[in-house]
Amino acid sequence: MFLFSKEEDSPRLTQLRALSLFSTLSPRELKTVDGLLHERSFLKDEVIFDQGEEGQALYIIETGSVLICHQGEPVGGKIAELAAGNFFGELALLDNSPRSAQARAAENCAMAVLFRADFLGLLETHAVIASKISLQLARHIGRRLRKTVTGQTE
Amino acid sequence: MRRGSGPLVWVGIIAATCLLLFLFKKILWLVVPFLLALIIYYFLQPATHRLVLHGLHRKTAAAITGGGFILLLLLCAALLFPWISSHAVSWQESMARYIEGGSRLLQKTMDGLEAQFAFLERASLSRNVSEQMAAFTETFAQRYLADFVVTLATWLPALLLAPFLAFFFLRDGRRFTRFVANAVPNAFFERTLFLMHEMDRTARAYFQGLISLTILDTVALAIGLWIIGMSAPVLLGLVCAVLAWVPYVGSILGCLLVVLVAATDFPLDPLMAYGAIVVFILVRLLDDFVFMPLTIGRSLRMHPLLTVLMIFVGGAIAGVAGLMLVLPLLGVAMVVGETVGMIVTDPRLQARHAYARRLRNEQAAADLQA
Repeated sequence: MFLFSKEEDSPRLTQLRALSLFSTLSPRELKTVDGLLHERSFLKDEVIFDQGEEGQALYIIETGSVLICHQGEPVGGKIAELAAGNFFGELALLDNSPRSAQARAAENCAMAVLFRADFLGLLETHAVIASKISLQLARHIGRRLRKTVTGQTE
Repeated sequence: MRRGSGPLVWVGIIAATCLLLFLFKKILWLVVPFLLALIIYYFLQPATHRLVLHGLHRKTAAAITGGGFILLLLLCAALLFPWISSHAVSWQESMARYIEGGSRLLQKTMDGLEAQFAFLERASLSRNVSEQMAAFTETFAQRYLADFVVTLATWLPALLLAPFLAFFFLRDGRRFTRFVANAVPNAFFERTLFLMHEMDRTARAYFQGLISLTILDTVALAIGLWIIGMSAPVLLGLVCAVLAWVPYVGSILGCLLVVLVAATDFPLDPLMAYGAIVVFILVRLLDDFVFMPLTIGRSLRMHPLLTVLMIFVGGAIAGVAGLMLVLPLLGVAMVVGETVGMIVTDPRLQARHAYARRLRNEQAAADLQA
């Protein structure tokens, strides 16, 4: 019976499932992704990455919030403020292009980080998981594009 | 990631490679099994990867490939041990026969040279060489056999470590990467991830290149030796290809081996030995100009002059082990050096790190100030 029992979510998997990027993954798939994620914590005002820096990873906010702004203008150059459950730096997963804005911790925060090479490896080894994440990424980028077109802010 | 390190970084890379070689020479009993484990790890990695592609968990895939490899080794050892014990005496005789065959060829060559050049005859070249060869072969067993047995007994447990190390590399390699990355400050985190990825890529390309090169060399030598009519061409090709892992010295030993076999199996036909030398040289040329650039050369992306110089430096510092280790070590030192150079010389990253440290100190001392 054990073979057919439904896998229960551990607190960690529940936490990961609450993140929009992984909301469509099954518990087994979440476990695989969890094995690839790096945990980082940032203090309020700490720079996560700079505008123009070569991006290598995508950041997912577990707790706290993050300010996306123009380089060195956390007050006047604010682009968006992202709360827990959101992610940023996603373009780094798609290409080697420089970061388009600066990211700073708006408050103390914990983040899960997905390295590009790991994501590319996932595309080869676990195509289903990678395609689910890619779909979520595409939806996110589509939403942002729509907002840009209609002139809304996040 | 940008490339183009300055001369200081390059001096650092070369100095670090030399220092590592010097240190590794002191702990060779650990370095050699580790290196073998890396070769086995990168050899088994594609199979593990394929199993993961078929839906198996990484740990299960590692257990299947790593465990399967260890079982295969045990099975081979169990089957080969009785066979080796029963053939040991005949091998000893064969070895003596091959050494005698080699001596005969040398003698013939010396006689031929003396016939051509009078000054060599006056110097009694042939007699001197035969006397020295006779003395060497007579005292060889007394001089070196005991040392050889003691060395083998010392190394065997360490060498047995290699497949087990490879199994754990396959199973827990990713956890190790995460463990190291967690210790890195936020400011340098992404660069460090990239560095570790590049190190893995370089090492993978090198060792998988080495395995491909060995297969290509074996096939080319086997075909060449088979064409000229030598016995056991595949075995000879494989032994020579493995010996070629040690730059220069390994190739010379491989050539000597082939000549010994040719001279003994065809004592009345010296042309066979010369033919074997020609085949060997042709395969070496093919290896240097075609196989090597296609396999290992691509992985390290080093200037040929630097490669040759570092091989000499490696040999001078750590002997045969240095010759073997210098290129992979230089490859890894290049990636580490270039990335560390980029981090250390990047004032923005340094400033961000200093700022983060100040924030952490302030937070730690917040209630103390109140």
